[in-house]
Amino acid sequence: MTEPSLRIRGLSKSFGGVRALGGVDLTVPMGQVHALLGHNGAGKSTLIKCLGGAFPPDAGTIGVGGRTYTRLSPRESIAAGVAIIFQTLSVVDALTVAENIFLGQEWTRFGRIDRKAQEEVAAGLLERVAARCSPRDRVGDLPMGQRQLVEIAKALSRSASVLVLDEPTAALSGAESDALAERVEDLRAQGLAIVYVTHLLSEVERLADAVTVLRDGRVAHHAPMTGQTRRELVRAIVGRAVGDEAGAEGSAPAREHGRGVHAGSADATPRAPDGTAPNEPGEVAGVGTPSDGPTEAPGDGPAVEQAKPDADRALNAAVSGADGEGVAGTVEAIVDDAAGEAAEPDGLGARDRTGGDTEDEGPAATVGATATDGGRPPAEQVVSVAARTPRRPDAPPAPPRLTVDGLCGPGFGPVSFAVAEGERVGLYGLMGSGRTRLLETLFGGRRATGGAVRVGERAVVITRPAQALAAGIALVPGDRRRQGLFPTLSAQDNALLPAVRPLARNGVRALGAERRVFEAVADAMGLRPARPKLAAGAFSGGNQQKLVLARWINGVHGVDVLLLDEPSQGVDVGARQEIHQVVSSLAAERKAAVLFASSDPEEIVALADRCLVVAGGRIVGELSGARLTEQALLSAVHQAGTDPVPPVSPSPVQGAA
Amino acid sequence: MTTVDRALGRPRAFAPVGLTVVRRHPLIAVLAVMVLVFQLATGSFLDASNLSGIATDAATLAIVAVPLALLVISGYLDLSVGSTLALGGLVAGWLAGQGQSPVVAVLGALAAGAAVGAVNGVLCCYLGLSAFIVTLGMLTAVRGLAQQLFPLPLSGFGSGFAWLGGSRIAGVAAPVVIAGLVLVAGALFLALTPGGRHVFAIGVNREAAHLSGINIRRTPFALFVVTGVAAALAGAIKASVLDSAVAGTSGAGFELTVLTAVLLGGVALTGGSGSVLGVLLGVLFLGSLQNGLTLLNVPTFWQQMAQGVALVAGAALAYFAPRTR
Repeated sequence: MTEPSLRIRGLSKSFGGVRALGGVDLTVPMGQVHALLGHNGAGKSTLIKCLGGAFPPDAGTIGVGGRTYTRLSPRESIAAGVAIIFQTLSVVDALTVAENIFLGQEWTRFGRIDRKAQEEVAAGLLERVAARCSPRDRVGDLPMGQRQLVEIAKALSRSASVLVLDEPTAALSGAESDALAERVEDLRAQGLAIVYVTHLLSEVERLADAVTVLRDGRVAHHAPMTGQTRRELVRAIVGRAVGDEAGAEGSAPAREHGRGVHAGSADATPRAPDGTAPNEPGEVAGVGTPSDGPTEAPGDGPAVEQAKPDADRALNAAVSGADGEGVAGTVEAIVDDAAGEAAEPDGLGARDRTGGDTEDEGPAATVGATATDGGRPPAEQVVSVAARTPRRPDAPPAPPRLTVDGLCGPGFGPVSFAVAEGERVGLYGLMGSGRTRLLETLFGGRRATGGAVRVGERAVVITRPAQALAAGIALVPGDRRRQGLFPTLSAQDNALLPAVRPLARNGVRALGAERRVFEAVADAMGLRPARPKLAAGAFSGGNQQKLVLARWINGVHGVDVLLLDEPSQGVDVGARQEIHQVVSSLAAERKAAVLFASSDPEEIVALADRCLVVAGGRIVGELSGARLTEQALLSAVHQAGTDPVPPVSPSPVQGAA
Repeated sequence: MTTVDRALGRPRAFAPVGLTVVRRHPLIAVLAVMVLVFQLATGSFLDASNLSGIATDAATLAIVAVPLALLVISGYLDLSVGSTLALGGLVAGWLAGQGQSPVVAVLGALAAGAAVGAVNGVLCCYLGLSAFIVTLGMLTAVRGLAQQLFPLPLSGFGSGFAWLGGSRIAGVAAPVVIAGLVLVAGALFLALTPGGRHVFAIGVNREAAHLSGINIRRTPFALFVVTGVAAALAGAIKASVLDSAVAGTSGAGFELTVLTAVLLGGVALTGGSGSVLGVLLGVLFLGSLQNGLTLLNVPTFWQQMAQGVALVAGAALAYFAPRTR
C-alpha cells in the first residue's frame, strides 16, 4: 500500500498575475484519506480544478496511478481515475439512479440502452457505497446524502482510484454526515486514495490519515494526523507562522510576520474604549460554553489596560519592519482564546516573545489581541470607517433597539440576542450556517417557527416584508441580482422604490420631491455616476449595492433596524468603504441598530462593534472589543464544526438582561 | 409613457425630439410608410370616413390592450379576454333587451368582466398558478359559460343601447373617446402613480419588489380585474355597434389580436418593460394593416398571414435593433 495513488509535485497556477497556487505538493497513497484544509481563497478549489482538468496548471506535475501528467483535460482526468464530487452535485434530478450512474457511458444492446444490465451493475455499485436507494429511483426524489452516494457510485463505475470530496457534508444533516463518514472509511478500506476537503476539524480528526493545510496557495502545513491537535491545525489555517512540513516551531519565517500583522490589525484601535463599554469583554463567551462569560469577566478590564503598552510596542515593531514576535504570540493567544482555553481571569500581559510555547495554554488572550490591534500599519481607511462613530466609554448603556428571543426558523435557532441603539453587530459564519435565513426571517421573507422579536419596547410579529418595514426593520438582501436590483429600471427608481408611495400626494407621485431625495441620497453615498435616469444594470457592483442600500437610508422610511446580508459582496474596495460609512452613520446619527451577516472576517472587523459567531443555525460565540479580530473569527468557525453546540444563554447581551 | 426608455438610459441624442421618439418606437416609421403605401395604392385610405372607421375598429382593441399591457409589464398574461369580451357583450345586450337602461346594461357587463378578472387574479396572484395555464383554461371555460347562459344569438337591443357604440361626442365616435380615455389613464398611471412604479418593479424582479415591501399580489390582482372589466366593456361596445351578440363567435381570436398589438408595441412578454405609446402604435398598426388590405381587396387569409408576419418581424426587429444601433 505504499505506492502513491496521487502524487502532485510543484503545482502552480496564476490567474492574471494573481498567484492561486505556488508550488503545491500533495501525495496520497492508496487506502488513505488525506484532509485538505484552508480557508476561502487558500487555493483548495484551484488545486481540485487542476486535478479535474478544469484548467491547466502553469507548472508542476500530477501523477495518478503511475502516470505523470503536466496537464490534464477533463476527459483524461476521468480516464486516469480521478473522480471529483463537488459541493454542488452534478447529478440529473429527472433521471433514475442507474441512468445517472451510466450517464455518458450508457450500455447498449443493438443500439438501445440496456436498462436491465445497467440496473444490475448499478445495484452492485450502490451496495458498495451502502446507499439505501434503488437503481430505479428518480434522483430528484432522494435526500441529499443519497444523491451524494449516487455520485460516488458513478465515480466507482468509472473505476476511479482517486476520489476527491469537496466539502461533502456542507449540505448534509448530522445523520447523513455520519453515514457518509462510514462510507469514506469503507472506500478507504477498498483501496481508494481520498482527498477530503473540509472546513470542519471534527471530520478531519475522525477520518483523515494525513492533512495538508493550504494558505495563500502554498502548503502551510503537512503532517500525518497522528499527534495533531486542533490548535496546531487552526494555527496553520489562520496564518500563524507554523513553518514548513517539518512543523518547525519557534522560528517563524519573516515573511509570515507582515501578514500576521496585517490580518490581526484589521481590528481598529478605537475599539479599545469599547472594552469598558457595557456589552463588552466580560460577556465574551468564547466558543460555546456559556459559563465562560461570567468566569472571564473580572479579568478583562485590567487586562485591556495592561495591553496598551504592549500594543504600542507591537505597533513599533510592525512599523519598523522588525520581527513581529508580539504578533505571533498574539495569534496563538487568540487561538487559545477561541478554543475556550483562556478562561483564566488574570491576564498576564502580552506574551510578546517568539511564538513558541505551544503547549502553554495561553492565559493572555485579551491582552494579546489588543497588542495586535496596535500592530496595525499606518492608519487605515478601514479604521477611519470604524472610528467614525467611536463609542464613548463613559456613555450610559444604550437601550436595545432590536431584541430577539428564542427565534427559530427553517434551518436555524433558537437564537437570542439584542442589538442596541446605534450598535453594529456582525453575524459571522460559513456558508449554510444560517445567517442569511436568520436575517430573512427577521424581515419576514421566511416564516419564523417560534420565538419573539421586539423593536425597542414593542413586540412585533412579522410574516411579510411589509410588516417588517412598518415595524422599522429593513433588509439589504444578500443576492443582489436576484433579490435586490431592478437592472432595467432607472437608478432613481431603484433607490426610491419603497419611498414612492409615502412621498406621493393624493395618489400622485411627487416627482420633484423624488428627484430631491434621490439627489440627496446619491450625494450622501457617493453614487457614481449620479445620473437618476441611468439604468441600474449599467452601474458597477458597488454602486448597484448603493442603490439597493439607498432604499432604506433615503430618509423617507424610518428605519430603526437595518439588516444587511453580505453588504459588500462583489463590491470594489472604494465602494465598500463608502457603504460601511453610510451604514455606520445610519447607526450613529439615527440610532439605528445594524445587524449584518458576512463571511468575510475583514468586513466584520471593519464594520462591527460586536460579532456573533453562527454555526449550525445557532449562535456559538460572541466577540467584541479587542477580541474581535480576524484570527479569532476564523478560529471560532473552524472550531465550531458540526459538534453538538451547547445552547447559548438566552440573553447573552446587555439590555436583554 | 416613455419611462422605460428613459430608464434604459440611452444617451441623449442631439437629434430633434421627434427623431428620438422614432428611435425608441421604430414602429412609428413602419406605420408611416405603411400609411403612405396604402394611400398611394388606394387613394382613399386617408379619407376622413376611412380613418374614422379605423379608429372605431381599433378602439375596442385599445381599450383591452392598455390594461393587458400593464398586466404583461408586471409579468403576467391574460388569454381569456376574447371570451370575457363575448360574455360582456351578451350580458349587456341581454340586460338592454330586457328593457334595462343602457347604464345598467353596461354596469352588468362590467360586473361580469370583473368577476372573470377576479377569478384569474386570485388563481394567478394569490395562489401562484401559472397565468398562461389559468387564463388559457378560463378562455375555454368562460366561452362555455357564455354559451350555456345564452345559447341563442341576441339582438335588437334598442336605440338607447345603440348610443354606446354609435353616438358621437364632439364629432368623435363614443368608442374612440372611451379608448382615448383608457390610453391617457394608462399612461398617467404608469408615469405618475406609485402603482406604476410597482408594476415595473414587480415585472423586472418580483422577489426584489417583495423584499422592498411592495405588495406583489395586490397590484397584479387589480390589473387582472381591470383587464376583465375592459374586455367586458369592449364586448358591450361591440354588441352595441353590431346590435347583436353571439356566444359562440363574438370575440373569438380577439385575445391573440390584442396580444399581438401589445407585443408589436414593444411590451416585453418577459415583463418589466413597455409603454402605453407603444401599445397605441401597435393597435394603430394592426388596425391600419387590416383596413388597408381590405381596401385593396386582399383575401382574409392573406390579411391574417400579414398580421402574423408583422408580429414575428416586429420581434426580430426588436431583437436585432440594439446590435445595429
